[in-house]
Amino acid sequence: MRFDVVIIGGGWAGCSAAEKLVEAGRKVCIVSEGLSLSAVKYDSPYARLAALQKQGAVVLRGDRAVCGKIEDGKVVEVRTRNQDEPLVADEYILATGKFFSRGLLSDKDHVWEPVFGADVDYDPDRTKWYDPDFDAPQPFMKFGVKTDAEGHVLVEGRAIVNLTAVGDIRND
Amino acid sequence: MTNLEQCLKCNLCTLVCPMMEVNPDYPGPKKAGPDGERYRLKDPAFFDYALKYCLNCKRCEVACPSDVRIGDMIQLARIKYGSQARRKGLTGLRDWTLANTDLVGSLASPFAPVVNEVLQLKPVKSVMDGMLGVDKHRTFPKYSKQKFVNWFRKQDQSAFDKFVSYFHGCYVNYNYPKQGQDLVKILNSAGYGVHLLEKEKCCGVALMSNGFAARAKKQGAVNLASIRKAADAGEPVLTTSSTCTFTMRDEYPDVLGLQNSDVRDNIMLATKWLYEKISSGEVKLKFRKDFRMKVVYHTACHMQKMGWQLYSIELLRMIPGLTLTVLDQNCCGISGTFGFKKENYGFSQKIGSKLFEDIRTNNPEYVATDCETCKWQIEMSTGIPVLNPIEILAEAIEL
Repeated sequence: MRFDVVIIGGGWAGCSAAEKLVEAGRKVCIVSEGLSLSAVKYDSPYARLAALQKQGAVVLRGDRAVCGKIEDGKVVEVRTRNQDEPLVADEYILATGKFFSRGLLSDKDHVWEPVFGADVDYDPDRTKWYDPDFDAPQPFMKFGVKTDAEGHVLVEGRAIVNLTAVGDIRND
Repeated sequence: MTNLEQCLKCNLCTLVCPMMEVNPDYPGPKKAGPDGERYRLKDPAFFDYALKYCLNCKRCEVACPSDVRIGDMIQLARIKYGSQARRKGLTGLRDWTLANTDLVGSLASPFAPVVNEVLQLKPVKSVMDGMLGVDKHRTFPKYSKQKFVNWFRKQDQSAFDKFVSYFHGCYVNYNYPKQGQDLVKILNSAGYGVHLLEKEKCCGVALMSNGFAARAKKQGAVNLASIRKAADAGEPVLTTSSTCTFTMRDEYPDVLGLQNSDVRDNIMLATKWLYEKISSGEVKLKFRKDFRMKVVYHTACHMQKMGWQLYSIELLRMIPGLTLTVLDQNCCGISGTFGFKKENYGFSQKIGSKLFEDIRTNNPEYVATDCETCKWQIEMSTGIPVLNPIEILAEAIEL
């Protein structure tokens, strides 16, 4: 299915991007796996997504982006768990957040970004991931995908020109 | 089997549970699902009968960021520990009657004109309310004089060289053949012949929710055997009910333990199949020029869980002359047979109130939805007629 922009992540960052794009008349699809914690700020947990849907955005609630295909430094399609057909767009936005929303996954020694395999900024030395002081800011919360100056996501060191990272998934 | 250890206790499921909002006796998806499961694994005596309030809408699973199968866990617990909760006496008879859509439909449809009239009579409704516990406010879906399968037998499909199979479901067969007839007309005009499955039984969703899982499993096995035959003949199995589809694709393996991975992708809603065929150019439909209709689309809970509302919505958007508004994805509250029961009627209407309000504000000519029980609930509660997207499409094309 074709769109102008596919946004992966329907939380604070994804909705903010979507609202601007829908206002500008772009055809937007939002893949919103699970509810974002930011939803608790609203009277109705789906308020922002529902408003976007009323304005014509396609919202896939509970669907998961499983794999993004990259060719010649550009994303060409994203496949999701519930759809047989891939989602195709000119621009893609990665707004999947950090660990809670599965924007970043980890095992004992690695941290990775599951949809595009983007370069993740983290310390390979696991002992540096945590601060034993419970109240201190935890270093692992600074992990995130690497981007160039324009916010394009880096995959194997190369900037993907039609994939922009917004929100918590970034390493800043 | 269950993945309760994935639950982080974030409570987002509690936030979206429609029953939780209106019924303080329901412990909510987190407590009823992963929290309760820990206790039930230790001792079945921890089974909480309040689990009967779960609508099985799967909204908890859609909201869960950790992919916990909360709804399945509750369904499985009800089947495993709650069978003794199956009610006895007249209420048991009511549950049995509501659950056996297939059998009751076969018995009722030869007497359709009489049955329809009788079920509308106030004294009959009062008796059913008082003795059986079927709420008197409910309007029963009318039985059809002619079953869909009897109509279909008279349709010559021999002229086609490409075929699809159609799982019509109980509602189309016993109550509302028009929906199936419309699909056959659309498919025929697109150049496809239609086959029915060799043997079709009720998908079993009403049996499962009323405590007759073993029967549901038997019927599911019959359906899957027929679906496999259709798949071997290279035919997809199309449906016009989101709940039947969801049950056969996901509840069969997840709740009933029926293996369907070989044919799961073969079972799909007709709207999805048509959308894909039209957008790839394989099917061309000729739309009427004078067609005008103002429609709002309601996403049924199981449609949302499958993530297929996209296809019905985009298919409707292809129709010239159709003004479409997509409603907020709220639950209508009926949840199949749940809302017919006197003890649940109040909850049912409270849950649906947000949706009814949303519909009334939009003031459409028709509401479109892929679920028949949503249709009954919306028609009864708002007075606005509800159509399946397939019926709207049939109306909009030149046949």
